[in-house]
Amino acid sequence: MPVIAVDAMGGDFAPDEIVKGVARASLATAIECVLVGDERRIQGILESVSYNPEHISIRHAAEMVGMDEAPKEALKAKRDASITVGAKLVADGHAQALVSAGNTGACILACARHFRAIKGIRKTALASVYPRQTEYPGQDQLALLLDVGATIRCDALDLVQFAVMGSAYARRVSKVERPRVGLLNMGIEPFKGGEVLTEAYQHLTALSGIDFVGNIEGNDVAKGRADVIVCEGLLGNVVLKLIEGIADVVTDVASNAVKQRLLWRLGMALLSRGIREVAHLADYTKYGGAPLLGFEHLFLKAHGRSTARAIENAVKVAAKAVRDGVPGEIAAGIQAIR
Amino acid sequence: MIYRWDLDKTYLKSDFESLRKMMRVPFERAEDKIDEPGVVALIRSLKTSARREQRAAFVYFISASPPQIQRAIREKLALDGIEFDGMVFKNQLQHLVRGRFRFLREQIGFKLAELLKARLAAPPGAVEFLFGDDWESDPLIYSLYADVIAGRLDHDVLADILVRLRIDPARLVEIKALSQRVVPADAVRRIFINLERRTPPERFHPFGARLVPTFNYFQTAIVLRQEGVLPTGAVVAVGRSLLERSAYTRERLRNSLDDLTRRGYVAPAAAASLRRDLEAAEVLPSLNPLGGWAGRMRRRWRRRRARPPERPPIPVKTIEYPRLIDSWVAGGSRLSGELP
Repeated sequence: MPVIAVDAMGGDFAPDEIVKGVARASLATAIECVLVGDERRIQGILESVSYNPEHISIRHAAEMVGMDEAPKEALKAKRDASITVGAKLVADGHAQALVSAGNTGACILACARHFRAIKGIRKTALASVYPRQTEYPGQDQLALLLDVGATIRCDALDLVQFAVMGSAYARRVSKVERPRVGLLNMGIEPFKGGEVLTEAYQHLTALSGIDFVGNIEGNDVAKGRADVIVCEGLLGNVVLKLIEGIADVVTDVASNAVKQRLLWRLGMALLSRGIREVAHLADYTKYGGAPLLGFEHLFLKAHGRSTARAIENAVKVAAKAVRDGVPGEIAAGIQAIR
Repeated sequence: MIYRWDLDKTYLKSDFESLRKMMRVPFERAEDKIDEPGVVALIRSLKTSARREQRAAFVYFISASPPQIQRAIREKLALDGIEFDGMVFKNQLQHLVRGRFRFLREQIGFKLAELLKARLAAPPGAVEFLFGDDWESDPLIYSLYADVIAGRLDHDVLADILVRLRIDPARLVEIKALSQRVVPADAVRRIFINLERRTPPERFHPFGARLVPTFNYFQTAIVLRQEGVLPTGAVVAVGRSLLERSAYTRERLRNSLDDLTRRGYVAPAAAASLRRDLEAAEVLPSLNPLGGWAGRMRRRWRRRRARPPERPPIPVKTIEYPRLIDSWVAGGSRLSGELP
């Protein structure tokens, strides 16, 4: 069974929800988790819930990086921060993957400092799964979007590498035999979107190992045309937050409408199942987290607002990615295009 | 030294999750019964280590199951190679005949009375270790018993508690009489509760430091070693039995030792020395990939750098039974002694 290091101090509801999530995973699976953080606090929380100590160990870290701290400065000032200790555990081979719901910048920086990049990788990418419409029976309800924030800007070759990494992840974790890859753009024509996107389009069309379906427009993101969508980090992050925001708005509108008029309340009662399904689809706690791809080791970034359920799922996804050999698959893909 | 064991969920992995499975229990043959991982090695070690040190060790079983299963249990214990000195079952027939169905599942009155009877028959000054589980009322029964024989619980207070717990009135009279005959002695050194249901350990804090909730019998063996009852070799034997018979890994055993240390039941220094012995016996994984002098230095340096503050010892306190029962009532728990 893989060993997963979990940053117990990172996240809006840390350490309580993180520790409870690991406790849940310890009862449901045989995955071994190393909780990294303030040992006394972690143990106190563990003892208040059901857990299986045989699957949990604790590595004490005296410091933590807050959600609103500047990543570079925080990591420099706090040598014993939980995210740093966790990244070192993985780099030293004591764990095979790291999960954190903490400060995204600090997480990526800690990984960049301690993990080795896969040979040939120019930039790492944070990939996120999101719900989408399915086009045919049996199609996975989730698609992969990368990068969603590890890099701000990137060039055409970076986008090509993102396509290879996303494709490898979808093949191994989502079990899509030949994932369809799309390039997020402002039009479907090959010459749209400027120099970088045009060049990336040409490279991707020429690649034999990738099932490239062309450019994907914003209104197609939630449809089933592509299993993997690549874009630069700034754009990807905006798209991801937009999807989350829409789900929140739908739920808010529905709950406000219920309060306004009796007729609306009746209408909402009829629609309630559908609204619940929308909320359920966009529920990030189900999906675990976003893998940071491009390193020899795995890092899974869980949502900052992660609850115990989200952390439990993040641990399961991380263990699955380790078992399925995602970094190896990415390395093979990158080797093939060099 | 006396070791008193509950049977179901403590020695045996009895399955009571559904009525159907519960009904099947009396008809199970000895070879169908499954023991809790590590328990056989532990009980055998208790007997053999006592024999080696030339001291008396008695193992008794007490169960609220009907005596009809006694034969299968005796056969199972024989199959496991367990030597025991006595066994008590609850006679359900008298309740059935009198139509007192409410008392069929009542455990507190039955077990407390039987424990007191056994204490009166025990050699004076005998030290006791009690073993139960987190399914029903063992933490409460054993704690009450320990405090009654220690003379810490006033007879009237005990009577009030038992009335509130709605035990069989006939038992109440019997317990009062028995408790008055017991020569006060602080004889119960530890109460072990097997966390078969994975009840959060915090819920046992009101019972004080005497009660040790353990997640497996490796943890129990470690605490018994600390009590001076078992040698390190017995802890190794229990660990090996878990590795060989129950598909445990060395990492799971290491985590179990660490958990016990963090919960304050083993002193860090004692845990460190035990860890070395268990690593040498290949029961725990070696934390020392560098090996030798360099590895030791590296580990020492790491420990110094990132050492958490030590946990204060669990306070030895008087159990406030009336308040404990009040909190159960407030928590909506049935008055059967089950933890809420």
